[in-house]
Amino acid sequence: MQLKKPPTPLRLGLMAASCALLGSPAAKAQTAADGEQPLLIDAGVLYYKEDQGRVQTIEPIVRFKKDYGDEHVLGVTLAFDSLTGGSPNGAIPSRKAQTFATPSGTSLQPVSGVPQTYTTPSGQVVAALAKVTLYSVQPALLPLDPNFHDRRIAADVSWAQPVATDTHASIAGHLSNELDFDSAAFNAALSHDFNGKNTTVSAGVNGELDAVKPIGGAPVGGSDYTQLLKNGSKSKDVVGGLLGVTQVMSRRWVAQLNYTYDKSNGYLTDPYKIVSVVDGTGTETGYRFESRPDKRTRQSLYFGNKAYVGGEVLDISYRRSKDDWGIKSDTVDGRLRIDLGNDIYLEPHARWYHQGAADFYHLYLNQSDALPAYLSADPRLADFKATTFGAKFGVGFGGNTELSLRIEQYQQKPTDTTSSLAALQGLNLNPGLKTVIVQLGWRYDY
Amino acid sequence: MASPCEVLLETEDLDRARSAGRAAADEAWRIEAKFSRYRRDSVVSTINASNGRPVEVDAETAALIDFAAHCHRLSDGRFDITSGVLRRCWRFDGSDRLPTAAAIDAVRPFIGFDKIGWDAPVITVPTGMELDFGGIGKEYAVDRALAAVTASSSESALVNFGGDLAATRAPAGGPWRVGIERPGTEREAALLLELEQGALATSGDTHRYLLRAGVRYGHIMDVHTGWPVVGAPRSVTVAAGACIEAGMLATFAMLSGAGAEAFLDQQGVRYWCLRG
Amino acid sequence: MRLARLVGLACAAGAILTMTGCGTIGVKPWQRDLLAKKEMALDANPLDAAIDDHVYFSKEAASGGRGFGGGGCGCN
Repeated sequence: MQLKKPPTPLRLGLMAASCALLGSPAAKAQTAADGEQPLLIDAGVLYYKEDQGRVQTIEPIVRFKKDYGDEHVLGVTLAFDSLTGGSPNGAIPSRKAQTFATPSGTSLQPVSGVPQTYTTPSGQVVAALAKVTLYSVQPALLPLDPNFHDRRIAADVSWAQPVATDTHASIAGHLSNELDFDSAAFNAALSHDFNGKNTTVSAGVNGELDAVKPIGGAPVGGSDYTQLLKNGSKSKDVVGGLLGVTQVMSRRWVAQLNYTYDKSNGYLTDPYKIVSVVDGTGTETGYRFESRPDKRTRQSLYFGNKAYVGGEVLDISYRRSKDDWGIKSDTVDGRLRIDLGNDIYLEPHARWYHQGAADFYHLYLNQSDALPAYLSADPRLADFKATTFGAKFGVGFGGNTELSLRIEQYQQKPTDTTSSLAALQGLNLNPGLKTVIVQLGWRYDY
Repeated sequence: MASPCEVLLETEDLDRARSAGRAAADEAWRIEAKFSRYRRDSVVSTINASNGRPVEVDAETAALIDFAAHCHRLSDGRFDITSGVLRRCWRFDGSDRLPTAAAIDAVRPFIGFDKIGWDAPVITVPTGMELDFGGIGKEYAVDRALAAVTASSSESALVNFGGDLAATRAPAGGPWRVGIERPGTEREAALLLELEQGALATSGDTHRYLLRAGVRYGHIMDVHTGWPVVGAPRSVTVAAGACIEAGMLATFAMLSGAGAEAFLDQQGVRYWCLRG
Repeated sequence: MRLARLVGLACAAGAILTMTGCGTIGVKPWQRDLLAKKEMALDANPLDAAIDDHVYFSKEAASGGRGFGGGGCGCN
């Protein structure tokens, strides 16, 4: 970067000579972009509400970006998340009322009739849960744990700068804290432009270390729910890499292809979720805590595009993902930004998603079957189709401010929702999800 | 001018855009016709054919000669519009044919702005000497073309004659985005800079040079030796208030040879140097 | 399954190599007018993208793909 200096005699002489020749004083040259840029603030509040009394969250989030000049960029993001409402506990609806126990909530009562300690097969002695809150679920309704509440704070910091001609590097760190979960993560990437800056190749790595501290302790996987056997806090780590190429395809179209790979290791089970066990008629005889493998390898291929069509900007992408839990998914996401003039725009959005179930996903278990090594009834691991429809409306003021409102509806429709067993006839065992998403945004921009 | 020329104007009025383009083009052709060495009827050709007789010139030509005289003094004699005669022995066609010392010595007596008789508006050019406005003509045309475009209104405008450009003020959507191409290099990297207002000019040897024994000889000449400047960058782009100012700074930088960057640092201007 | 995965990866690698090998696809610097618009950047709305990624991460089994995972959350 070059500092401002008082003009030398030569420069003054040249300015005077030019002035005399052209007959008018010339203005100074002013170049932007290489120099320091003003601070960019991107703030928003998200309101997310699922139907049927399920999860509801409010999340304010703010992002700061400062370009110190010559592409040295600092980014800081802060997010706060507050969750309330009920979350499915994995059990299926029943013809009879069901009662469940949760370690959360305010009306914890001592448990009777269960052992206070328990010895694991490896000889470790662990304490069973001492106090729980009981909650009941009406017949035919999907069991939701109403005591589910959480708050999350997250902070991200990133730094990017050029390190050689046409080469940029970036590093980022993340910290977050929830009532029962802490996470620390980093990522680092290198990118190189060539072909007249028409092609950019990037490679990066990321790592994450999480502390899972379920309230009441992590349950023994696959164990009988009524035993409430717990064995403390857990951890997990994730290591991953990304390879990507961005290519300018034409004056109106830029495309990006990313391949990501990550491997998770450690406690990957949801500590609060259970699986219903039913007999031959479909009447529930008990519940088991879920148990997931302690390793998971995922790969995904993402193809994204930005195209200028008919005066508007189209964003369309496709992602294909698979992992070694047997889950395969396809996502198609499209947005069209329509310029309405006067710095006003409307951006309709549609997303279509389909995922296949995990190998160890079961809607419920049959009492007569052997207990599988891994099992889960978490609807998030089921086979379902999901769609999102919505639009974002934005208005710009004063050349540097933008207010926006985004309203969307997200729906999940599971495939596997019924059973042929007598007592489960006519019940929708996995009703899916309907959500409204409202986001208010404020952007202060150059 | 032999390079693509464009006028960018922020307007919704098609007629206005057309008339701005015509005004810029008319001005550019007028200046070319007037100062081109290649046209028999140009002012420059008239002066160069004067055979030592005094020639009275018009106000615009006088202003250009004054400007060249200032630059000659400011550069301690290194910028010299009489150095065009070196063309007789140096042909920059990308070959490896360098002139002999004898050929250069034969031409040296005819170089030197101090030998010109200049008493505005009368110029006396001794026989065998000639004037060459090639080093300032294009940048001057850019400034005048911009003035012609903005004479009748105040929209934001940019005039670009093959990479030498000047702009009034940026359009409402943001600064002018200027891409500086670097052809002929392995990297083919282009710079993208954002210009709010002002001018850019580039001086370089990308197209006119000689190459012998791995040494590149550019066409910016050191008038004291009769040889190309040693150690000059492949190209220099400078930002300044007016295009002739930017162009002259770029030329002075090239004339400083290996010290080009140091010279520009000292002047405190924004610049981009490419070395080969 | 393994064969299909290898084929899929090979296709992706091939696509990457093809795209990087295309020295003739692209634009000259003076043709970047539309590409330079803020809305044409691949990451034009990072806040929307971060919010969407968080919502879909907590409700679906697949996640990310466009860039890095920013960090975990206990919501899945």
